[in-house]
Amino acid sequence: MIAWTRGRTLAAGAALILLTNAVALSGVFINRSGEPESRLMLSERELSLPYRGYRQAENSGLALTLTWRVLDADEEGSDYGSSNYGVQPTWLDAAHLATLGFETSAGNATQEARERLARQLPRQVLVVFENAGPAWRQAVERARAGAARQAAAAAANPGSEAFAKQARAGVERVALEENHYSRLFAIDAGLDAATLRSRYPDRSRYLILRGTIRPTLRRHDRQYHIGGYISGVAIDHINVPFALRPLLEPLRNAPQPLPDASTPRYEVQLTVGQRLEPWIETLTTPAAKP
Amino acid sequence: MRNTANDIPARRQAQQRADEIRVFLTELARLEAEGVLALEESQRQALATHHASLLANYAHAYDIDRDSRAKQLSLGMRIASFLGAMALAASVFFLFYQFWGRFSEAAQVAILITSALGSLGLTVWIQGRDATGYFTRLAALVAFACFVLNVSMIGQIFNITPSDKALLPWAAMAFLLAYACDLRLLLAAGIACVIAFVAARVGTWSGVYWLHAGERPENFFVVAALLLAIPRLAMHRHYPGFEAIYRVFGLLTALVPMLILGHWGQISYLDLDPKLIEGGYQVAGFAGSAVAIWIGTRREWPETVNTGITFFVLFLYTKFYDWWWEVMPKYLFFLVLGLTAVLILLLLKRLRGAVGRADRDSSA
Repeated sequence: MIAWTRGRTLAAGAALILLTNAVALSGVFINRSGEPESRLMLSERELSLPYRGYRQAENSGLALTLTWRVLDADEEGSDYGSSNYGVQPTWLDAAHLATLGFETSAGNATQEARERLARQLPRQVLVVFENAGPAWRQAVERARAGAARQAAAAAANPGSEAFAKQARAGVERVALEENHYSRLFAIDAGLDAATLRSRYPDRSRYLILRGTIRPTLRRHDRQYHIGGYISGVAIDHINVPFALRPLLEPLRNAPQPLPDASTPRYEVQLTVGQRLEPWIETLTTPAAKP
Repeated sequence: MRNTANDIPARRQAQQRADEIRVFLTELARLEAEGVLALEESQRQALATHHASLLANYAHAYDIDRDSRAKQLSLGMRIASFLGAMALAASVFFLFYQFWGRFSEAAQVAILITSALGSLGLTVWIQGRDATGYFTRLAALVAFACFVLNVSMIGQIFNITPSDKALLPWAAMAFLLAYACDLRLLLAAGIACVIAFVAARVGTWSGVYWLHAGERPENFFVVAALLLAIPRLAMHRHYPGFEAIYRVFGLLTALVPMLILGHWGQISYLDLDPKLIEGGYQVAGFAGSAVAIWIGTRREWPETVNTGITFFVLFLYTKFYDWWWEVMPKYLFFLVLGLTAVLILLLLKRLRGAVGRADRDSSA
């Protein structure tokens, strides 16, 4: 063993600390230098404040949670407007999973093939998110169609409190979808950022972030369908810079807005850099706007 | 400097020598009482002077335990320093979380780096003044906690993608402090970081996201082999107990995945019938535990023997559970377990006897 003095311990430890910090901070510099990969204006609907609770009481930091959704393959599926971990998007079929590196060639005909597919572990991919685009409009249309069906059912059953209650819920659901729920939808996934960007060139509407996808099977009409779901987004808590904190502090302890409140309490310019790591560039509240 | 870091491992050797002197004196007194041996007065004086001088030197240099009462108190101090170190490390985390939001990003980074550097400097400073090593242990664990906090908080402040690469500098810091301050707890922390990193890397070779590498227990076999090889590759003469920690972690990293795969074959990489995989890993687990007991006995590695026995019994009892829990009355099931324990005791007794005979033959 090498004779190891305290001076060497100090020097080696200090070098390790400084080198590690230098590597981490240079990565941050590279991410934030040059032209951003994307820059979107999001609101409280997509970047929500943390829930008040005991965990927040001892944490003076503040991070906004990225609230994203997927359009469920099942139109009647439950959708509560928050991050849809576990919900299977229509676009994530067997062919798409194969392009992401999953083994789907065995199909889903036999029990053995289905088990083999379900055993596969999540892979890291690049997920494309669309803000206030066709996917969100489709979600609004679904809510309206659902409300219309429920209203028709209530009209056909005039004495039924249950049908009337469902009809009211349908109307509320439309209001939530239009004014409250997140408009950020995961619409595609791939392995190459450049290819995805060429497919979705609008950098102010489409956000590319790292995430993970897991394959699964969905049973519909007595048949198994190969699908998958987004099992996680690498960075879904975005730290609020110290300089922007005063704008959010008053809202942090205020009650959550009512479902039919139409005005988001703040808007955030979220920027994603070269390494697909996001940060908050600006933050405005209606009161702070000129 | 009175005490270089290189002298620190000698503390354990000094303590071991002091313990041996105590045992020797007890046995000497017994032999004299039984009339087997009688030292002349001059020899007795020379022996007493020599031992007193040795113990005084050790006590001055290392603050060793000179008798059994001091040893008992030392055990209490070790426990107190371990608990204190854990509590202080937790306190550092919560302290930062409580106040970090009140500072700008530049100040946060400066505080994190300064606390990591400061706690490291404090550890080195205490090490030069703490002959007992208890306060050094405390400070070293806080220094490690500060560095872990430093890296993880930089990630949070600047929204950096979580990466298994963070485990490498953490492991390096843990090993540095473990070897510099002779701390087995930090050696275990460093080994845990290496286990996580290598398993994650092995997992990513097959495309799995690194955080899910643990869901394929076979990912741990590579690092198990590495850990078991380290005591053979690197001499740890000045670090008593370190080789044992490598061996125990190596065995745990090999046998725990075997135990899991022995019951959940469907999470294996192997594209075979899960029942076949489970059977294979059960056999491998029994064989691995038996080999650990055998090698541990031959090489006089008590920790290897104990780990092997523990896993052999675990494999055996889980098999008994699979076979008989449903079909046997509970009194009979537990009776079988008890009788098995007796059988294992008899087998180990025979093994001990065989090893003793082999040692006597070789010494003859």
